[in-house]
Amino acid sequence: MTEPRRVGMTCLGCGLLCDDVTVEVSGSGVSGLLPACVLGSAWLGSGAVPGHIRSAGKDVTFEAAIAAATSLLTSSRGRVLVFLGPGLTIEALRPAVAIADRLQATTDTATSAAAASGILAGQRRGRAAATLGELKNRADVVLFWGADPARTHPRFLERLVEATGTHTPDGRASRTVVSVRIGNDGAVDAADASLQLPVAGELSALSILRSIVAGGLVPDTTANIAGLSELAARLTAAKYVAIVADGENGDPSRPSQRAEGLVALAQALNTPTRAALFTLRSGDNRNGVESLLTWQTGYPFAVDFHGGVPAYHTGLRGLEDAGSVDSALLVGDWRTIPPASLAAIAALPKVVIGPAASGAAGAIQVAIDTGRAGIHEGGTAYRLDDIPLPLAPVLDGPRTAAMVLSALEEAVDRSLREAAA
Amino acid sequence: MTPGSTLRIAGGTVYDPANGVDGEVRDICIADGRIVADLPAGSPSLDARGMVVMPGGVDIHSHVASSSCNHARRLLPEQHAADPVPAPHLAGGHTGRSGTGGTVPSTFTTGYRYAGLGYTTVFDAAIAPLTARHTHHEMSDTPCIDAGCFVLMGNDDYLLRLIDAGEVGRARDYAAWLLGATGGYAIKVVNPGGVEAWKTPQRNLTRLDEPLGSSRVTPRGILETLTDAANALKLPHAVHIHANNLGVPGNVATTLESFKALEGRRAHFTHLQFHAYGTGGGWKSAARELSDWVNAHPELSVDVGQVMFGPATTVTADGPVEYLLYKSSGRKWVNIDIELETGCGIVPLEFKEKAAVSALQWAIGLELFLLAKDPWRVVLSTDHPNGGSFLAYPQLIQLLMDRTVRDERLKLVNQKLLAGSALLDGLDRQFTLGEIAIITRAGPARLLGLRHKGHLGAGADADVTVYSRQDDIAAMFASPRYVLKQGELMVEEGHLRLAPTGRRLYLRPGYDDAVVPEIRSHFDRYSTVQFDHYPVQGLPNGPLGID
Repeated sequence: MTEPRRVGMTCLGCGLLCDDVTVEVSGSGVSGLLPACVLGSAWLGSGAVPGHIRSAGKDVTFEAAIAAATSLLTSSRGRVLVFLGPGLTIEALRPAVAIADRLQATTDTATSAAAASGILAGQRRGRAAATLGELKNRADVVLFWGADPARTHPRFLERLVEATGTHTPDGRASRTVVSVRIGNDGAVDAADASLQLPVAGELSALSILRSIVAGGLVPDTTANIAGLSELAARLTAAKYVAIVADGENGDPSRPSQRAEGLVALAQALNTPTRAALFTLRSGDNRNGVESLLTWQTGYPFAVDFHGGVPAYHTGLRGLEDAGSVDSALLVGDWRTIPPASLAAIAALPKVVIGPAASGAAGAIQVAIDTGRAGIHEGGTAYRLDDIPLPLAPVLDGPRTAAMVLSALEEAVDRSLREAAA
Repeated sequence: MTPGSTLRIAGGTVYDPANGVDGEVRDICIADGRIVADLPAGSPSLDARGMVVMPGGVDIHSHVASSSCNHARRLLPEQHAADPVPAPHLAGGHTGRSGTGGTVPSTFTTGYRYAGLGYTTVFDAAIAPLTARHTHHEMSDTPCIDAGCFVLMGNDDYLLRLIDAGEVGRARDYAAWLLGATGGYAIKVVNPGGVEAWKTPQRNLTRLDEPLGSSRVTPRGILETLTDAANALKLPHAVHIHANNLGVPGNVATTLESFKALEGRRAHFTHLQFHAYGTGGGWKSAARELSDWVNAHPELSVDVGQVMFGPATTVTADGPVEYLLYKSSGRKWVNIDIELETGCGIVPLEFKEKAAVSALQWAIGLELFLLAKDPWRVVLSTDHPNGGSFLAYPQLIQLLMDRTVRDERLKLVNQKLLAGSALLDGLDRQFTLGEIAIITRAGPARLLGLRHKGHLGAGADADVTVYSRQDDIAAMFASPRYVLKQGELMVEEGHLRLAPTGRRLYLRPGYDDAVVPEIRSHFDRYSTVQFDHYPVQGLPNGPLGID
C-alpha cells in the first residue's frame, strides 16, 4: 500500500474555486481537505466513484454504449434535450455543446433555475464588477447584501476580507464591513454595522440608496428606512466599495428584480467613488458553462439549437418543459437536478454521462460513469468572477467526461453524415 | 495540406509587395502548405487567369478572443438574435458549427467570417494576463485563422512597482516572463497608468508627466520602459500602444507628446484616429499634424482604427474612457476591474453619418490613410468592434481606392465639424491594389515580424486570397473567389469548404530566472490565484522563435 501523500488541488465546492488547498491521497481515496472547509469537504467526498457502463440496464462495452446513445439521440434529432450539468470541465463541455449543436437540441443548465435573473439584469443594464482580488486589494467598504458567505462560500472572509492587499495593508482593519439582512437572508458575524430589511422593502431600499448616491437626494423620509441615508453616506465616502450579494442561494420569496437594483446601485456608485458588485455563485464550473456557451453561441444559458441556429429562449426551462422533446442527454452531475425537474423528465428516454450516471433512474437507456472534474479529471474550470483556473486531478477515475463526450460527438457526427450521404 | 500535395495557382495577376511584385501575371506554386519556387509540369492547378492574387490578410489589431469580448458578447443578446448563423456545410459531408453574429460574433462565426474576407491571420490586441487561459480557449474555438494576442502590461501592479523603483532591467525580465506565461505575442499598453488610476480616487491620468498617486510612475515612464523592453528583447512586434486620453477633444497634444517621448525608438501606436482630435476647443481634425510626424519618423508605425457608419461595440481595457462614454451616451455599460493588471469597459454604440462627431471620426480615419506617405507603416484596422466590424473592411478599401465613391459619401455626412479636414481640400489619392495589399497583409505582417506571412515568396505559409476583378471594389473584397489556408482550398466562391484549426502565434522570450522568486512573492501576497496556476500550458503548437 502506498504511503498517504498530501497534494495540492483546486476545490470546486463553491464558486471561489480555492486553488490553494491540499488533500491527503491514499490509494483510491482522498480526505483531509486543508484549510478545512465544510463545503469543500462535502464536495470532495471520499473520492470513490462508480465505473459502470450500461445500456438498457445491462453492463456493456464502451463502444456498445456509445453506439446505443448515438442511435437514440440521432433518431430524435431536432427533438432532444441536452442538460449541461455542473461538474464538467471546459474540455468536456466543448464536445457536449457540439453534440447539442449537431442534434439541434434544446439545452438547459443549472443557470436557468438558479441564476438567470442576475444575467438578464446584466444584459439589460450592464455590469459594474471586478475580479476577487480587487476586493482583497482595494475594498475599504464591503457591503454584504442579503448574503451569508460563511454558509455559501466559507473561505470568502478569510481569503478576501481579512486578507491584506495592495491598498488594504491592515486586512480586515482596513475595511468597514456592513451587513444588510433581508428577511432571513444574510448575516455576517462581526460586521461593523448591520441593517435589517423586510423582504418587501428590498427593492425600495435599493432604489433609495441609488437615488441618494446618484443625486444626493434623500427621498421622502416616510419612505426611507432607518439607516439607509447613513449607509449611502458610508458608501459614497469609500474609496472602493465591494457589494457582495448572493447569485443563486437566496430566499425565493425575495424579488428577483433585486439583481437589477444591485447592478444599478453598483453602477451609480461609480460616479462619486468606485464600486464593484460581486455575485456569489456556486461551484462545479457553473460560470464555465455560461462562459463557453457565450463564446460559442453568443448566449450564456437557455440556448436552443432547434431550427439549426442558436436561439435564446430565456423563458424556456428545458428540464421542465420536456413535452417538446423525444429524448434527453444529461451530462455532468445529474444529482444536482431538482427532484421536481427529474420527475418532469422521468419518462423521457435518456442518456446519462457523468459521475454516478449509473445511479440515475427513469427510462435510462445508456449510462456511462465518469470521474469528477477536479478530483479525477483535469482541465479548466471558471471561478465566480469568470477567471479560469487549471484543475489538477489527484485520483484516477473510470474515464473522463471529456473523453466520453468526444467519442459521442464523433459517433453522432459520423452517424448524421452517413444518414445524409 | 496533405503531405506531398501540391497546387499551382495559375495565371493570376499577383500583388506581392514584400517581394516587389505589383500586378504581374505569374503562377504561385504550393507544396506541403508552403509557397515554393516552382512545381513540375502537370501539377494540380487552379485557374486564376484574370483574377487578383494576394497573400492572405493579416489583422494587426482586432478584438476577437478575450474575456472582454466574451463580456461584450453576453451583453448583446439582441444583436445575436438579429444575426443567427447556421452551421456551414463543408466539403466531404462535414458540418461546421452554428453561431451568431452582430458586432461581436461567436467564436466559430468569427473564424468563418474572417476566412470569408480572405483574412487568415488575426491578433487579439488586448488580453488581461489573468484571463490568458480564457483567450486560448476562445482561440481554440476560432477556426480558419492563425491567431495570437497582445498582453496588457501598462497598468500592471508589479511592473509599476519596478518602474517606481527604477528597476528597468527587472521590468524587462518581468515583461518577458509575463509574455511567456500568457502565451502572448506582443506587449500591449493601454492608457498607461490611467487604468490603475481609474481604480483609485485619481480616476485617470491625462498628462504624460502626471504621477500615479504618490509614486514616481508616470505615463511617460511606463511608455519608455515597455518600449525599451520590447526592443531589448528583440520582440518581433514593437510595443503596441493605446495612448492616454483616447476619444477626448484636443488629445492630439498627448498623442504628439507620446510620439516625441519615444522618438527614435521602434513603437506602434494603435487606432490613431481615436487619438487625432485637434486642440483649441471643440472637436476638430488633427490628422495632418499626426501624419506629418508619422511620415517623418520611420521607426514609428500605426494602425488607423477607422470608424465605419453603423453599429459598433466599444470594448477596451481603458475603463475611464468607457465610463465617460456611458455617462454621455446613456447606453448600457460594463466595467470590470481586473486585479493587479488592468480593466475592462464596454459600451455598445452606433456611428451615424448624420452625427457630427461620428462624421469627423470617419473623416479623420480616411485622412490618416490618404496622407500617409509610407503605407508600410499605416495599417488598415477598424479596431474591431470599436470603430466598426471587420466585415466593413471591403467598404473601407473601396473608400480608399475609389475617389468618386468617397466624395459621394462625403457629401452625405454631417459637415459641421469637418472644417480644416484635409478631406475637404480634395484629397485625390486613390490607393492601388498594390497599396491595399500593403496595408492589409504585407505591411502588418512585416510590422509583426511574421516572416512566413503577408507574402508569396518561397517558404511563406501558403495563405493566399484570390479575388475576381469587379468594378465594385467593395463587392470584390467582400467575397473572394478562393481563399487558401496552408495550401488547402478553404473558401470557394463565398462558400466555406474547410474550417481548419489555425496555428497559435506566441513567444517564449528569455529572461533572468532570478526575477521569478520575486514575482512569486508578489503573487503570494496580492493575487487570488496561485502562482503555479497562472501560466498557460498545453498550447496546441510550439512558440515562434525570436531572432
